[in-house]
Amino acid sequence: MSDLVAYSEKANAWLESVAAEFGRSARKGLSEAEDLALGRRYLKARFDAGYAGINWPTEYGGQGLTHIEKVAFETEEMKFGMPTAYFGISLGMPVPIMMKFGSDQVFAKERVLKALQGEEIWCQLFSEPAGGSDLAGLRLRAEQDGNGWKLNGQKLWTSWAQYSDYGVIVARTDPTVQKHKGLTYFWVDMKAPGVTVRPIKLAGGDSHVNEVFFDDVKLTDDHRMSPVGGGFAVAMATLMIERYVATDSAGFGPHLDLFISLAKEVEVNGRPAIEDGRIRQAIARNYAMRNGLDAITARAMLMMQAGMEPGAEGSLNKLVSVRSRQRLSEMAIDLQGPGGAHFDEHAPVKENWQTSWINAPTGRIAGGADEMLLNTIAERILGLPQDYRPDKAVPFNQIPA
Amino acid sequence: MSLLYDEGQQAIATESRRVLEARVQTDQLLPLLERQGEFHRPFWDTAREQGWTALALPEAYGGLELGLVELGLIALQAGRSLSGAPFLTSSFGAARAILDFGDDALRGHWLPLLARGEAIGAIAFAEGQSPLPANPTVKFSGGKLLGVKDAVSAALHADVAVVLAMNDSGPVLAIASLKDVERIGFNTFDNSRCIADLAFNGAPATVIAQGDAALDAAQHILALQAVITAHEQTGGAEVLMERARDYANTRRAFGQTIGSFQSVKHRIAEIYGLVELARAGALHAATREGHADFLKAAAAARIQATEAYDTAARDCVQVHGGIGVTWEAGLHLHMRRARTLAMEQGNMLFWEDVLVNELAGENA
Repeated sequence: MSDLVAYSEKANAWLESVAAEFGRSARKGLSEAEDLALGRRYLKARFDAGYAGINWPTEYGGQGLTHIEKVAFETEEMKFGMPTAYFGISLGMPVPIMMKFGSDQVFAKERVLKALQGEEIWCQLFSEPAGGSDLAGLRLRAEQDGNGWKLNGQKLWTSWAQYSDYGVIVARTDPTVQKHKGLTYFWVDMKAPGVTVRPIKLAGGDSHVNEVFFDDVKLTDDHRMSPVGGGFAVAMATLMIERYVATDSAGFGPHLDLFISLAKEVEVNGRPAIEDGRIRQAIARNYAMRNGLDAITARAMLMMQAGMEPGAEGSLNKLVSVRSRQRLSEMAIDLQGPGGAHFDEHAPVKENWQTSWINAPTGRIAGGADEMLLNTIAERILGLPQDYRPDKAVPFNQIPA
Repeated sequence: MSLLYDEGQQAIATESRRVLEARVQTDQLLPLLERQGEFHRPFWDTAREQGWTALALPEAYGGLELGLVELGLIALQAGRSLSGAPFLTSSFGAARAILDFGDDALRGHWLPLLARGEAIGAIAFAEGQSPLPANPTVKFSGGKLLGVKDAVSAALHADVAVVLAMNDSGPVLAIASLKDVERIGFNTFDNSRCIADLAFNGAPATVIAQGDAALDAAQHILALQAVITAHEQTGGAEVLMERARDYANTRRAFGQTIGSFQSVKHRIAEIYGLVELARAGALHAATREGHADFLKAAAAARIQATEAYDTAARDCVQVHGGIGVTWEAGLHLHMRRARTLAMEQGNMLFWEDVLVNELAGENA
């Protein structure tokens, strides 16, 4: 048995031992506030058990292992439906960036330890009304204010800002230079005067994203995490940190087995649905595709273990799996006949076709829309030309509206 | 077997690519489309000379004792270069039937010939629209075969066939020399596949499996071939993706290369996705031989690869515009091959059912 298999098995055994307290069944019927509180307790337990910050340095409360163990643990953890969503962004990007770029490392270490134990949550204030995919097109201003800075503007789609204690933010410090060059990276106290968080109710009925307003929010210069005008590079570094994450070929929706079970239970035109050619084709095609994704993921793990950089094809998972989840969810609702209209907006998306379906579009947009991923594949992997970019080599304040 | 190729395997990929790219040209393949009964001899000579015919057979019979992963790599390259004959896969299927289910006499006679490429094998299971009929109409009685097998690939040149037939008590799988068997050729859209009906009129044959075991054995042979073909399909799709990309990077319209248009670049990026899914599925299946989930893995690989090659053929021609539909550009060679490979060893409809039966239980 390889070390990694042993590691996974041990992790699985621990997860099994706390599943009744924190897992899927324990969360049934909880309000969001109760679920968040349970999540905080789970993070503390995970920290105490030695599964927090797996690939982070031990002096920051981490385990000092590699991203391989991290992905292995996440893959096991995902099976149990633990209440980790509130902390995903926080521990995924802003906190490690704080660890790496925070100017006051004593303060940073304190924050990291609290975040790892679920006591504090960080958000990432990147997207704005004027741009999500086009990050460098952001408009929120940071102006010199004495020795410090003053923030004015709006962020949008900020996950879990309503529960966040801190955030990392990219702001425009110079609108007279090209758009990538006039940005600076800061951290902010989300409880500071002038910060207003308003949850946005999404199509599925829940509100994990927010709009965040900044009105003369004052920062001392030690909040700055990049050179003035050097914020874009740190923003890119933030997005690269999460390169190695556990993936799910079901697109973070229900497993294909659930679709097969459903098809065995119900009938289409008086015959078992599992005998219907259309249903069989959907099962076969989805299985074949997900099987390909799983093989890509397994190969990437082997490459990492062998000290190699995994291939670019790993980027396919998000593109392909969420689309398939979306269509399969539609079909699963069809299979339920008129009764498919039943809706429990709080049902977990990995177990319920209706919530999986209505929340699927978010998965195709957040963190890089499908079209952006296709552009990335075409340009970076295949060497096709960049899109026409009228904003290139133009000062930000002269970009055609 | 690992999902990571080792050095030896990488060398097989590199060397087969070098050799086939040097020896196979589109202008040699085009005339074959209009000639019944011919195949691309340089391809087959190369396969024999390079030992590809012996690759996945045991040393005892002159083989090189490698497996599906290695043969898959050769097939992937053959797919890229458009294999000039179906014999690598058909002979491999026949050899594995003889090796896995035949007796010493059959093995001793046929395997060395197949390993050297001196004999060509064919798989004759299909009848009518069914790739694997449970009650075949070809009869086996008194040691002889009687009846017609439809549209058998490689049949015009094969020396030996694995035949699914029926005796008094049920299906049998039999090995037959094709020496005196009538081959009824006909025009196809991909004539170098050397497809013909095989009319058995009392040809002697040796049974290697009976009853349900015969159907299981036939299914297993199809699965082995499907994994090889999935690699070949992946190679075909891959080269089409590259041709679409290269064309989009050079062809200009409206003052820019057409690859600048998202409608074009996204189409090519989608092909890339299909190619990588097919590649991973095919390799995964090759590493699962001998495991309980092999049939499932083979079916999944076959489905994904068929989708990849058909889609790549469709879309690559589309990206090329008018030039893509000319005879000379030769993209239709891939359109044709994508379809023949999709049909050989069971089409999409067949493999979808095999896979769902595996996933949901046979009697679901």
